[in-house]
Amino acid sequence: MQPLANITPLKPAGAVEVRNVGQVFTTSTQDVVALDDVSLEVKPGRFVVLVGPSGCGKSTLLMMMAGLRQQTSGAVLINGAPIPKPDPNRVGVVFQEASLFPWLTAEENVEFPLALRGTPKAERRAKAQDALKLVGLDGFGKRHPHELSGGMKQRVSIARGLVQDPPVLLMDEPFAALDEQTRMTMGDELLRIWAATGKTVVFVTHSLTEAVYLADEVVVMSARPGRIVDRLTVSLPRPRTYDMLSGDVFGGLRDRIWRHIRKSA
Amino acid sequence: MSATTLRRLIVFSLIILWEGLPRTGLIPELFLPSLSSTLIAGWNEAGEYGHALAVTLYEVAVSMVFACGLGILAGAVVGSLPRPRVLIMPMVSSLYAVPLVILYPVFTVWLGIGSESKIAFASIYGFLPTMLSTAAGIQTIDPQLLLAARSMGATLSQRLVRVIIPAAIPTVLSGLRVGGALVIVGVVVSEMLISSAGIGYLISRYRTILDSPHVFAGVLLVLAMTVAFSAALRWIEQKASIWQTGMRGGLAENRSVRPAALQPTA
Ligand SMILES: Nc1ncnc2c1ncn2[C@@H]1O[C@H](COP(=O)(O)OP(=O)(O)OP(=O)(O)O)[C@@H](O)[C@H]1O
Ligand SMILES: [Mg+2]
Repeated sequence: MQPLANITPLKPAGAVEVRNVGQVFTTSTQDVVALDDVSLEVKPGRFVVLVGPSGCGKSTLLMMMAGLRQQTSGAVLINGAPIPKPDPNRVGVVFQEASLFPWLTAEENVEFPLALRGTPKAERRAKAQDALKLVGLDGFGKRHPHELSGGMKQRVSIARGLVQDPPVLLMDEPFAALDEQTRMTMGDELLRIWAATGKTVVFVTHSLTEAVYLADEVVVMSARPGRIVDRLTVSLPRPRTYDMLSGDVFGGLRDRIWRHIRKSA
Repeated sequence: MSATTLRRLIVFSLIILWEGLPRTGLIPELFLPSLSSTLIAGWNEAGEYGHALAVTLYEVAVSMVFACGLGILAGAVVGSLPRPRVLIMPMVSSLYAVPLVILYPVFTVWLGIGSESKIAFASIYGFLPTMLSTAAGIQTIDPQLLLAARSMGATLSQRLVRVIIPAAIPTVLSGLRVGGALVIVGVVVSEMLISSAGIGYLISRYRTILDSPHVFAGVLLVLAMTVAFSAALRWIEQKASIWQTGMRGGLAENRSVRPAALQPTA
């Protein structure tokens, strides 16, 4: 069984380019510089994780890549083109939690972006089925979100992000609300899905272990104003395994990230 | 015993008591006429009651459209735009505490003692809670849902139809429940105060001549009206939940139906 028979042909993975981006929030009392001259290049098919102290602008940066917010200065390019408004054909987004519509079933939630574009019902259903199968939720399509566990809800969100086969998948702390065990499983699941689809992934997390475990590359940001202070390549082989967590390579990378974060906090 | 059986049993015993207590003389017929004499009284004047019911129903229906239609509309605007909210909400909330019935005599001066003054009074009476709860319902929509919809490319109108309205339905319906009940109260009370027609008018007229069976026949009709309203609302709630969940199927049907509907029928 082809994992995405109805979604294929898979689009090639996309490139993300952030060029000298700045973001200033003007509030009634003061101007807040959230991002200051951030440049970042994500090659197609890479798994890049953004980490940094709370409030350093990770979500803001992700929102720009999703076309949900426009930068004050600089440019954000997806596959070489700017993204002035959200475009689910180019970028899929998965949020922290509870962004599923509670009055729709799992499959209706996954179909939502397709329904917005007037895709015929049969095609929608078929694509949603495929996406749910891909995230391991075959047979749960008729359930409502409140009938699903936290991990299952996040799987539905991922399916919804992938249903239009976007070349880039953005994830803002998608597992932050899950317990540690579920979180570990979901990490493995995500890596499996990523391997099956070959998407470019930009992933935000507060967990250093999660960052190193998942990433090809970890991008470390400083406290406000957000700047990129370090980029680490994680050379651990794939598939990643639980044993690697206790290895020296893993520990060394995690320590290096932690020192950056402690310095700027 | 299931809740339904228990409920039926309670209603049944109340009916028995209503018939039995006055008959045994435990309660004087003047205070509570037996159910049968009430029904007979109502039946004997069926024409009069029928006419009164028609007047009252008409007033309730029109007030309901004003109170709920405008209430939902105003609530949606106030709930989704911060500026009118800041401007209007404190005013509405304090107005809500005023016993509006004191304004009713003024309405009769302006609009006469016919249906217009009842409709005006009941509309305003039911408008406020409908508006307040709609506004509250729209304000409490999770902004994450709207952000998610936007990230999937939803336009403003798609967000309204597919996110804001379905998310607000439960609160709007509970507003309708309160607002609609107040409309009925408003119409009946204003009829009882100053008027020349309607069930409220009959009740108060028969009361002044101490004709209890006829008073209670009117009361029974008001009761029947509220029960019917409740049932209608439950039906709407069911429909709404179908619309909420099956909305996309519904919209798709509409789209495919429209071209045919535009064609002239032979
Ligand atoms: N709409 C806004 N108006 C004003 N300031 C904002 C706005 N959105 C974000 N900010 C500020 O910009 C900074 C970056 O916010 P952002 O949400 O991107 O941080 P973050 O790195 O995602 O934080 P966290 O790890 O806590 O999620 C914060 O200091 C925040 O207060
Ligand atoms: Mg954030």
